[in-house]
Amino acid sequence: MSALPERPISMVIGALGGEGGGVLTTWVVRAAELCDFPTQSTSIPGVAQRTGATTYYVEIFPAPRDQLDGKLPVMALYAAPGNMDIVVTSELMEAGRMLENGMVTSDRTTLIASTHRVYSIIEKSAMGDGLFRGDKLDNAAQKLAKRAILFDIATLAEKEGTVLNAIILGVIAGSGELPIPVDNFTKSIRESGVAVESNIKGFEIGLAYMKGELKLPDAAPDKKIRAAKPSADSLIAEVASSYPGEALAIVTEGVKRLVDYQNPAYAKLYLDRLAGVLAIDRERGGERNNWSLTVETGRYLALMMSYEDIIRVADLKSRRSRFERIRTEVVAKAGEPVHMTEFLKPGFDEFTSIMPSWLGRPIMNWAMGNDWANNYNFAMRVRTHTIFGFVRVWGLSKLRFYRPKTYRFSQEQPAIEGWLEIVKDAAVRHYQLAVEIAELANLRKGYSDTHKRGLQNFARIMAEIAIPCSKAEKDPAWGAEAVTTLRAAALADPEGNALDKAFSSLDAAPTAAAAE
Amino acid sequence: MERSFAREVEMLRRGDGEHFEGEGILAITKALLQSGVSYVGGYQGAPVSHLMDVLTSDSKGLMSELGIHTEVCANEAAACAMLAASVNYPIRGAVTWKSTVGTNVASDALSNIASVGVIGGSLIVLGEDYGEGSSIIQERSHAFAMKCSVWLVDPRVNHPRIVDLVEKSFELSEISNTPVRMEFRIRACHVTGRFETKDNKKPRYSMNNKIPEPEYNLDRIALPPSTYLQEKMKIEQRFPAAIKFIKENGLNEFFDGDCEDVGIICQGGLYNSVVRGLQQIGLADPFGNSRIPIYCMNVTYPMVPEEVTGFCAGKRSVCIVEEGFPAYLEQALNAMLRKADLNTTIVGKDVFPMAGEYQSEVMMNGLAKFVEGAVPKGIDLGPIALVTKAVADNKELAAELLGSPIPKRPPGFCTGCPERPVFTALKLAQLDPEIGNMHISADIGCHTFSTLPPFNMGNTVTGYGLGLASSAGVKDSMARHTISIMGDGGFWHNGLSTGISGAVYNKHDNLLIIMANGYSSATGQQHLPSTTAGGIRPPDTVVPMENALKGVGVKWIKKQYTYQVSTMRDLIKEALTSSEKGLKVIIAEAECQIAKQRREKPRISKLLKSGKRVIRTRFGVDEDTCTGDHSCIRLSGCPSLSVKPNPDPLRKDPVASVLNSCVGCGLCGEVSDAAVLCPSFFQAEIVQNPNIMDRIAHKFRSAVIGMLQSKQEAAEIPAPQQDSTDDIRVAAE
Repeated sequence: MSALPERPISMVIGALGGEGGGVLTTWVVRAAELCDFPTQSTSIPGVAQRTGATTYYVEIFPAPRDQLDGKLPVMALYAAPGNMDIVVTSELMEAGRMLENGMVTSDRTTLIASTHRVYSIIEKSAMGDGLFRGDKLDNAAQKLAKRAILFDIATLAEKEGTVLNAIILGVIAGSGELPIPVDNFTKSIRESGVAVESNIKGFEIGLAYMKGELKLPDAAPDKKIRAAKPSADSLIAEVASSYPGEALAIVTEGVKRLVDYQNPAYAKLYLDRLAGVLAIDRERGGERNNWSLTVETGRYLALMMSYEDIIRVADLKSRRSRFERIRTEVVAKAGEPVHMTEFLKPGFDEFTSIMPSWLGRPIMNWAMGNDWANNYNFAMRVRTHTIFGFVRVWGLSKLRFYRPKTYRFSQEQPAIEGWLEIVKDAAVRHYQLAVEIAELANLRKGYSDTHKRGLQNFARIMAEIAIPCSKAEKDPAWGAEAVTTLRAAALADPEGNALDKAFSSLDAAPTAAAAE
Repeated sequence: MERSFAREVEMLRRGDGEHFEGEGILAITKALLQSGVSYVGGYQGAPVSHLMDVLTSDSKGLMSELGIHTEVCANEAAACAMLAASVNYPIRGAVTWKSTVGTNVASDALSNIASVGVIGGSLIVLGEDYGEGSSIIQERSHAFAMKCSVWLVDPRVNHPRIVDLVEKSFELSEISNTPVRMEFRIRACHVTGRFETKDNKKPRYSMNNKIPEPEYNLDRIALPPSTYLQEKMKIEQRFPAAIKFIKENGLNEFFDGDCEDVGIICQGGLYNSVVRGLQQIGLADPFGNSRIPIYCMNVTYPMVPEEVTGFCAGKRSVCIVEEGFPAYLEQALNAMLRKADLNTTIVGKDVFPMAGEYQSEVMMNGLAKFVEGAVPKGIDLGPIALVTKAVADNKELAAELLGSPIPKRPPGFCTGCPERPVFTALKLAQLDPEIGNMHISADIGCHTFSTLPPFNMGNTVTGYGLGLASSAGVKDSMARHTISIMGDGGFWHNGLSTGISGAVYNKHDNLLIIMANGYSSATGQQHLPSTTAGGIRPPDTVVPMENALKGVGVKWIKKQYTYQVSTMRDLIKEALTSSEKGLKVIIAEAECQIAKQRREKPRISKLLKSGKRVIRTRFGVDEDTCTGDHSCIRLSGCPSLSVKPNPDPLRKDPVASVLNSCVGCGLCGEVSDAAVLCPSFFQAEIVQNPNIMDRIAHKFRSAVIGMLQSKQEAAEIPAPQQDSTDDIRVAAE
């Protein structure tokens, strides 16, 4: 009889509740039992099952029972750091958790993980960008694991119409880390008797990947760059000739956006407004700062100039590309009609936003002082797949030509000019301060209450910090940092508590304007 | 029920010479049948729900063949009271519940039955829920065994051993006239394994063979003077009998080792972890042969003095591995050795953490510390230090390479959960200055997730069904409103009496919201008196909660479908501002989405296969109108309402995005309506197997709409990759 193994093979599966980690576990266990290996698995269901992170733990003693002459191994119920042979996670951040817990060691651990993200509620509910950056994770995995098998299994599963855990099973089988013949895995899938065909398909995809027979679909780029309207071409050429490296892309997009939003003349206005900023950026050695002043000002100027009014929303909602995007998004098969209901709830701001200013101003002035009007909203459910519903939206979108005469337009433009001037003033004194003030415009986003709140926060930070600092009444260097902190705080909670705190905890500004 | 146990039920029928394969909790279930129980009851809760589910639903047939009465009790007190059957009559019974929380509820009955004693074997199967993944307060149930003088079995995790100990526990119970509690940690309940089965034993007395005459015996009544006698019997008869039996039947186990100058004593449930810990530091082999002798206490109460002293005699140092706080075993051990005048050093909580679960790393480090301190003859300490250091170093390296800690992933309401909209409505109601922030007395159930992000609502959680009761003291001392939450599970568990009748009698004037999702959902969708199961349950067997409420004198009762957020919000305001005095109850009603999907999915796919017209509803967010402030997510937290990188080259913040897991519950639409969020949400109804009318309408509409859209085409052609990849990089930053 050959010498018995020194220890069981230990495998931990980190998954999210309801992701089929349990099924994956039973497949593996059954496959091992088919070899008559003593095998044990355990798990901790409970609250974690409800969308939280949970783990499953498997131990396989890689020697058939008949070779053990009656002896049976004592198996553990906990994954042990430093003791793991295979670590599987169904998601990137969970892989990070395993690394963090020391489950992955370079002497023996094979890490198998899908690199897609399932965002936690904490990441999702941030008012700005609260996403965990996994960029260090890959390097960490490569360094810490004996072998790291990392790829976006979820996207692959979706594309191939199968499930993630079946592909993972294939990867496990294909990795050769378990002394179990491939057939056992297929057998155990068939025995389990649920969705056998799609599971087998997934399993084989996993195998193929390990054999290197599978080319992964290239990840779609995060950013969707659209071709410009022909009418934008001359302006784009102008941008190409005048804007340096990093700024080029953003400003080009800005031009495209505003031609699409209004017309080439409006886009020209954008370039005229930005020209001054670029000039200062050149003087202040923008090169060194990757032209971030022009980039950020160009970005937010374009966004502020293309503010979302009813016309814009109607325009975007009535586009063909949107109808097509939705069909793919909701995975509607060819020939399956898709009925769309839009949830619109305009209030006085929205209505007046498209009124001529002579009419909109008085109404808005009245409305702002009036509780009822302040909270009044008119709920509309527009069924845009019907001709009547579509025409209502499409018709609104055609009001574009008249936008410059609207009340909202007359309100936005001075605000934009004002902000731009401050940015330029600041730029002369302190480059970073100017960039921060430019980015401050990000607070002006959202609709209805969110938008109102954003405007208030924006105005407050401008008045109390940005403006005085740009005029060197307060120390610009200090101001740059203050604005950064306050901007983050403004996005920390909707109630504005964090912002109040941040304001009160600002250390007093050194009044003497320190030269940069 | 959360899952079906058809396969397990088949295994419950297996007899002599056959094998059982499956989870620990089901092995215990089989052991009960092999022990000839005539009744089984309990209250569900992880990790013992499966025991209840399998006996009370899937195996009805087998139960009636054996004549076993099974019952889903109203609560743990009711379950424990069932053991009264074994007080007067020689019939075996088992009851089960969750951990200390269940025992707290059961204690009244437990004390009384423990005092009068039993003549039929009585077993309490206790599902421990301590440590990782636990959903309850962290306490030991050991203390209950000590204060009631009932025995506590803590078996080592090994199916054959567990089954044997279940059978032995019934004998122990009968010989010592004492109920036996058997605790299983959550991982032990879910651990898979196999054992050789025996035939199921038909109980002597049962539904099929009734007890001829009732027994009257004042000695079995918990009243003075009997109670004095009973207390004496505990000490003079039951204890000695138990200890004798435990010894003679070798319930505890001794594992020899060559380093006889030291030893390890552990709770049975921790044995596997101890062996693995020793194996990691090179002191044991995979088959459990340890160099250090181990005394495995499968019975942790009572301790057997002779066994303990016998094991410690001649050892310089002994380590007691005991999970949880206080260290009852360590204390008792020290006392025993002192009495026996043995000067063996006892090491315990000084090398192990005072509190918390003894997971692998804790176990290994604790054992290593013990060994390094005790310096057993013939053990080289060098390699041990290396092993523990390597693990620590690797963690440090990982932290360094990862840069920042990995964000937590708190659990939350499931996709489409009907309880989520209620908290959305509550959040919106509190935005009204007239209402403002309220003191919310939360309760136990899925709805406890309201206390986690994104809702962060609920000021206290004091126990199952106690939401309303826990508002009594605070409600009149708050400047603003006080409201209470209760689930239908909690309502039937004790909330109706503890909370509602009390509140009516004491003329409370606040609001109670009952989450009526139709099941005891958090424990696996077990049925309740008010469960309709989407109409499957015969209506005449259903007890509507409003009847019970009216019965105890509640006047203001409103039923509201949870998904209508605005209406719910207004109803909450109405209740809080109503001039009418007295308790107001809103029954927030909508079926648990898990249960609903489990029923609906097969039905739908059947319809689809047969070519029937089916409308699939789901929601979506327009990525180009979403400005990425995520207000919608803060009002929902639905797993299928997520975010994705902003596709707009100009914007940075991630946009909201609805995943394919969306079940179209409708909350997103309701929220964007009620909270006036943004115009980005849309509802999509996909008409599957469209009929001729659908197709004609679709063709016609597409034609007209397409014609109107055509002018916009120019702006919409995605640019070819090659000239835009650079843009992508920069724009994405």
